Amino acid sequence: MTRELFEQELISMPMIVDVPYRFAAGKYMSRFLIGLKDNGKFLGIRCPSCNRVQMPPRIVCAACHVKNTEWVELGQEGTLAGFTIMYLPLTDPTTGKLHKPPFTYGSVRLDGCDSVIDHLVNIEPDVNKIWIGMRMKAVLRSKEQRTGDLSDILYFEPVEGQEKPGRQL
Amino acid sequence: MKRNVAIIGGGQTHHAARRHDVNQVEMVNEAIRAALLDARITIDEIDAVLLGNMEFFEGTHMTDCWLVDGTGVYGKPGLKITTGGTVGATIVCAGAHHVASGLFDKVLCIGFEKQEEGDTGAILSGVAHPLYGRSMAGAAVGYFAMMGTSYMATWGAKEEHSAMVAVKARQNARKNEYAHLKLDITIQDALNARMLAYPIRMLDMCPASNGACAMILADEKTARDRCTKPVWIRAMDSAHNEQFELDWRDVTTTRPIFSKVSAARLYRKLGVKNPVEYFDVFEIYEPATWAELVWYEDLSICGPGEGFKLIEDGMTEIDGPIPVNPSGGVLSTNCIGASAMLRVWEAALQIRGDAGEHQVPKEVNRALTTAYGGTNWAVLIALSGSSDE
Repeated sequence: MTRELFEQELISMPMIVDVPYRFAAGKYMSRFLIGLKDNGKFLGIRCPSCNRVQMPPRIVCAACHVKNTEWVELGQEGTLAGFTIMYLPLTDPTTGKLHKPPFTYGSVRLDGCDSVIDHLVNIEPDVNKIWIGMRMKAVLRSKEQRTGDLSDILYFEPVEGQEKPGRQL
Repeated sequence: MKRNVAIIGGGQTHHAARRHDVNQVEMVNEAIRAALLDARITIDEIDAVLLGNMEFFEGTHMTDCWLVDGTGVYGKPGLKITTGGTVGATIVCAGAHHVASGLFDKVLCIGFEKQEEGDTGAILSGVAHPLYGRSMAGAAVGYFAMMGTSYMATWGAKEEHSAMVAVKARQNARKNEYAHLKLDITIQDALNARMLAYPIRMLDMCPASNGACAMILADEKTARDRCTKPVWIRAMDSAHNEQFELDWRDVTTTRPIFSKVSAARLYRKLGVKNPVEYFDVFEIYEPATWAELVWYEDLSICGPGEGFKLIEDGMTEIDGPIPVNPSGGVLSTNCIGASAMLRVWEAALQIRGDAGEHQVPKEVNRALTTAYGGTNWAVLIALSGSSDE
């Protein structure tokens, strides 16, 4: 019997599971997304205890356990805090479309904000042309095309006229 | 702890990229049988069974229910835990707490993953906030790539240092009969490998493995009566990070991030002044090469910015003064739900002197293990061959 079991053909079944979801953004994220869509503005929220400005805005400061209350309008510019050049063809899980490699993405800290936002960076995928500390500005879709999600930001791009400082990677 | 807790046995599968010869139950059962045999105990003697894996990686929820026949939990108390990559270590912590509290005397802990049955990248994207950042999610490699660029830019390390970690892991794996990637590679091989996400190349990243690990934890009386080489769980700690922050990807961060917070607290519990003197071996969770260098620093094995010098000087080689991941680590074997438990089990084997070819060539009394979960929380466990030090 055992012998028979091991000599038989083995089966594996391919299966695709397609599951629809509908996420509630909540009060804070909704106000942020509407601010982005209607006014092209980034809204953060300041903790009354530690004064950190957090984006996306959220109900409670994780560090202080107090309710965030003071809304802060942030500018369109910031600093690149981390980056990578991606050579893998990654699927955008929110659209199902491929991000065509190679492409650059990074974490940008908007001026006056303590959090970072991860997004595409529109720059030649060349490690000698991008660096941590590089000045960035957000490029948004035109108002008519904005839908109230993070894709309303097309990408970040370098502020013009910068040179890579110091040591070459 | 209220009662001392010992690891009285354990086992693992031979980890591999393809295990179409078994289903999930059959694969998990291999590790459990090995663990019971090692502990010289029967499943009837087990009081409770704790199991964990990555949420939905194999497309089934409630794996504790699906795997009942293979895990031996039928008719017994049991629970499933999922905490991302840390899960194997979290299961050990939960098992240890159940024994320490006096609730159970013998607990079977299981961690497993059959990565080939699902789409790791697609399911991992569910870790990101659905409305904020998920469009950029899809693979862990991007996060570790940012850690790498941050590390190189801050400390002046080179891609060669990453390659040294990649080579150490796979050369150690060649000595570990259970490891997945047993590669006889050189630094040049690692540097020539295909770029995945700058600066991470193919050989700088962990594989997708199938495999399971099981361990049996017991109270002191059982351990002393039944086990010739009990390994004692001396301290455990866990800490979470905050969302929407660069945190662990930014090596210059001064924020109280998971790894540093957990290490500081665990060292305080044990009275550790110098971890290099205190621990004889480390089994850390390094899904990417750069994570290993950062762990060196976060665990105070060396100072900030000195991690790459440690690997350069061969300090963490299997026969070096501070052996790190003699098993080959996560870089060589990543059946995710089992990976954090494998760190603990491999550390226990080192203390027992039972690691075989990858046994470090020195006396091993104490070991430290680490794990990442969703790269947003960490679990650290300290083991000792002695129940009082």
